Amino acid sequence: MNTSTFSADPSRGKAAEPAKTFILPDKCFKKNVGCAWGRGNKFTIYPRSQTVNKTTTNTKTDDKLLNTRQDILLFTPILRKLVNESNGTYLSLQKAAEAAKVSDNQVEFLKLSRQFRSIIRVCIENLQDAATNEGNGIEKNNLLSYITIFYSIECIWHLCEIMYIDSVPGDIVLPYLLEWVRFHFPCHEQTAARLLDACERGSEEQEDYWDTVLGMVVQGRVDVARALLKLHSATESNEFKLVDNSLRSMPVYSVYGGISTGEFTISWKHWQAECRSKLSSRVLASQPKLELIMRIIIGDYSAFESIRSKYSSWFDILGGWVMFTAPWARRHELGGAAAACAGMAPAPRSHLDDMVRALLEGDLHQVIHEIQQISDNGWFATHLTDILFHCGKLSIMDKHQTNVTSRLRDSLILEYGCLLMEHKSLWSVGLSYLASCPPEGLRRAELILERMPVETEAKAMRIIAEAKKYGLVGVAQSVCSCMCARHLSGGRLGGALCWAMRGRSGAAASRAAHAALRHYTAHAALPAQDLLLTAGSAMLLSDTLLFLGKYCDFHRLYKTREFKKAAQLLVSLITSKIAPEYFWETLLLDTLPLLESDEPVFTSNDTYEIMLCLELRSSTLDGEKADLLRLALARNLARTALAEGDGVDAPQ
Amino acid sequence: MPLEVQGTFVSQKISKIRWIAEDYVETKCFFTGSWDDDVNSVKVWTFESPHEEDEVEYPRQLSEYPVDGDVTEIKFTEKNKIAVSLSNGDVKVLEVSVYEKASPLREVFHWKKLHNYGEEPCSCTSLDTLEGDIATIGEDGNVNILSGRRGEVMHSIKGADSCSLHSICFIKHNEVITGNIRGHMKIWDLRSTNNKPAASFLLAGDELAATCIIHHPTQPHIILAGSESGSLAVWDLRMNQFPTSLVNAHAMGVSEMQFHPENPHKLLTCSISGELWDWNMEAMTKSSKGQDNQVTWMPLEDKKAMMVNSLIPTLHKPINSLHCDKGRILCGADNEAVYLIKNFKY
Repeated sequence: MNTSTFSADPSRGKAAEPAKTFILPDKCFKKNVGCAWGRGNKFTIYPRSQTVNKTTTNTKTDDKLLNTRQDILLFTPILRKLVNESNGTYLSLQKAAEAAKVSDNQVEFLKLSRQFRSIIRVCIENLQDAATNEGNGIEKNNLLSYITIFYSIECIWHLCEIMYIDSVPGDIVLPYLLEWVRFHFPCHEQTAARLLDACERGSEEQEDYWDTVLGMVVQGRVDVARALLKLHSATESNEFKLVDNSLRSMPVYSVYGGISTGEFTISWKHWQAECRSKLSSRVLASQPKLELIMRIIIGDYSAFESIRSKYSSWFDILGGWVMFTAPWARRHELGGAAAACAGMAPAPRSHLDDMVRALLEGDLHQVIHEIQQISDNGWFATHLTDILFHCGKLSIMDKHQTNVTSRLRDSLILEYGCLLMEHKSLWSVGLSYLASCPPEGLRRAELILERMPVETEAKAMRIIAEAKKYGLVGVAQSVCSCMCARHLSGGRLGGALCWAMRGRSGAAASRAAHAALRHYTAHAALPAQDLLLTAGSAMLLSDTLLFLGKYCDFHRLYKTREFKKAAQLLVSLITSKIAPEYFWETLLLDTLPLLESDEPVFTSNDTYEIMLCLELRSSTLDGEKADLLRLALARNLARTALAEGDGVDAPQ
Repeated sequence: MPLEVQGTFVSQKISKIRWIAEDYVETKCFFTGSWDDDVNSVKVWTFESPHEEDEVEYPRQLSEYPVDGDVTEIKFTEKNKIAVSLSNGDVKVLEVSVYEKASPLREVFHWKKLHNYGEEPCSCTSLDTLEGDIATIGEDGNVNILSGRRGEVMHSIKGADSCSLHSICFIKHNEVITGNIRGHMKIWDLRSTNNKPAASFLLAGDELAATCIIHHPTQPHIILAGSESGSLAVWDLRMNQFPTSLVNAHAMGVSEMQFHPENPHKLLTCSISGELWDWNMEAMTKSSKGQDNQVTWMPLEDKKAMMVNSLIPTLHKPINSLHCDKGRILCGADNEAVYLIKNFKY
């Protein structure tokens, strides 16, 4: 454990620029405080007295411990669903990546990316439901801010998917970009649907009619815009027919359309020149709204600038801008369009703006840097970086121009995995992240797993199973030793023996076996007989354990009145000399009843052996017992020597 | 109709899941017990469609009953009463209202620290029920027989095992079988008072825990046990102490088994490795008749091909519990989700 005292030096605070300062709330912290790290991102602050010996009990009464930990967004119940569900997709992605090493797997990656997005969508839905049902104002605000966070995450992910994961035919990104705009800014589409449903002539009476028409043009929904224009009361006029004709005749590029990009560019430019000439002929002067539409479709910057204020962000007009200025734009050519759209209004740059700009400029390093600032505890940065890494689209250089892509990915995953391992329930999720980043992830996992609180055997068995799954044999053994020690200190010898055998630990097995033997010498009852009589090869873990097992077997034989076998076993235990010192008395005295049995069960040789051991270890027995044993030995020797001398049924 | 799998995330690791039986109508409600969370609970859920026209049904939480420690087992003592064992050593009998499932669970009986190491807490690892009687086991190695009707401890076997017990099953009214952490199985005659097992044998030579025990629904002398190693052992208690079959099945420990309540040839098992399997046991019983025309279970070497199907794609996390009612199987897993499998053919 690591302890340190806070210094009260103000100059240090200035130099390091503390991000946040907390005032310790209680007066017991006024003098000196200490701090100790706990498991994960946790530490405890405690009052620390410099004069340990002099403090008396009266000051101790108001001492307090202050547990401090980071409040983690992902640990709220709704977001735990996100954590768990995305973990499944993440693990599938790792498998797909493994498979992609031998064959191209881009389709699978796209599928998984969509799965991630649908998980985020579900999460947003859950948050929305919770927010509508929440009565508490503060809680509601929290939920709404989570919604904003995950909404922008989904928005960025979708754009990333278009730019890097999806396979775009011919790299012509426009249709995908329009889809993205439509998907994330659906308000005009909804109004358009309402207007078209009503299908009333003279819809221009509705106040949002023109906004909707413009919105549809800007989103590239030319057909919808035309249908809306048909609802105008003056739709039969020449001006309307002219605009409708221009919109209808707009060339649309398709990779499979059978014409080359060059050919398309010529026809498209031709069409736009035609539109421009119509505009300059001033035939539309009486209809300023139609004029605006024409100016937009010729890609007039000032026209876009004039409508920019109607939209909350520049993303809405991005699709339209690309469509009417450079519909042949490829994925990596969007930077200019983004700059143009973003520059149309002097709005303050939001975080989302920065991320979208960086993404369109193709600066993934910047994108990842930005998304790390999102307060989702690294969920987004980790998963997005990982999928981009596996798609082979990520290549990040440090200032020395060395490729640090895989290090970046690993560091994000390690960070995220460690964060989850702090949680009581999500530790197994965290472990699967750490395990996907060998070798460092597994080393970290080892350190954290060894420190996990283990309340029940069920949990211990689960930790061991998980550890073994990832080959962390050391963790499995240390958990077993820990359980063994716990049972031992509680005097539960069966449990201790069992966990020692599980962990295959010779030292632990010896300790437990010694405890069992000492228990027998003190209480004359062998513990855990059911275990000892059925244990298999695990008995070979330690000499003491083997001795204990054999000794237990001796008891069994004796109880079942198989005296000869019992005697043989006892002699072999005595002569093998593996018995611990404190157990010799018991062992030697155990021969007494067998020596006195009606039928002789020890041979003369056996008797000599026992005599030898008795004399060598006479100090372990007190005089009276030793004399008694000597007498019995002498009598047995007399019996057996005579019988063996006769050569009649000498005991073998 | 094809098998349909539908998962719902519930923000708690599920240790036990149980359908609540209904008369005459399809079961809709179920219990879950959670484990390994800061605060665990027993919850009642119902399946319902959020929109009238929707075919898909999602579980919605009806009530929550927080408990201390982990929920280690849930079994019914009566139609609407469950016995719940907890890792703090307590056992509770809870009642759900027949008419209003959403009303909070009512505590009928509560045995505090039924299993203990003196002052120290000790987990009550499992229980089994038979006609209102409850048999509980714990890490302390004791067996307790409780009356779920009168709320008293009728019998207890102290020191039934020197290690912790992990699985128990009623064979008859007066006989239970227990399995410990080393796979040591013991049969106890509850009428005897000498604290000695009537029989004992080992599950396998690997000294791994017996994680669950069940008996065959129509032939109660056939006992099945799942091991921590993922293998499945079958005993015919009339024959001998050695398993008639020991099948290497799942990749990791078997967490729960259930014979289909309406078709005793169907066995369902789930495992720590995240698998949910459906076994066709017909081949094991049918093809061999003993001398006196008694059905015997096939010995190991005769068994050619066991019919085993995987019901869901292998999860990345352990499946802890399953419960089957007609063609609908529920399972609860460590990825904090419950799964409903519909249109299961039995």
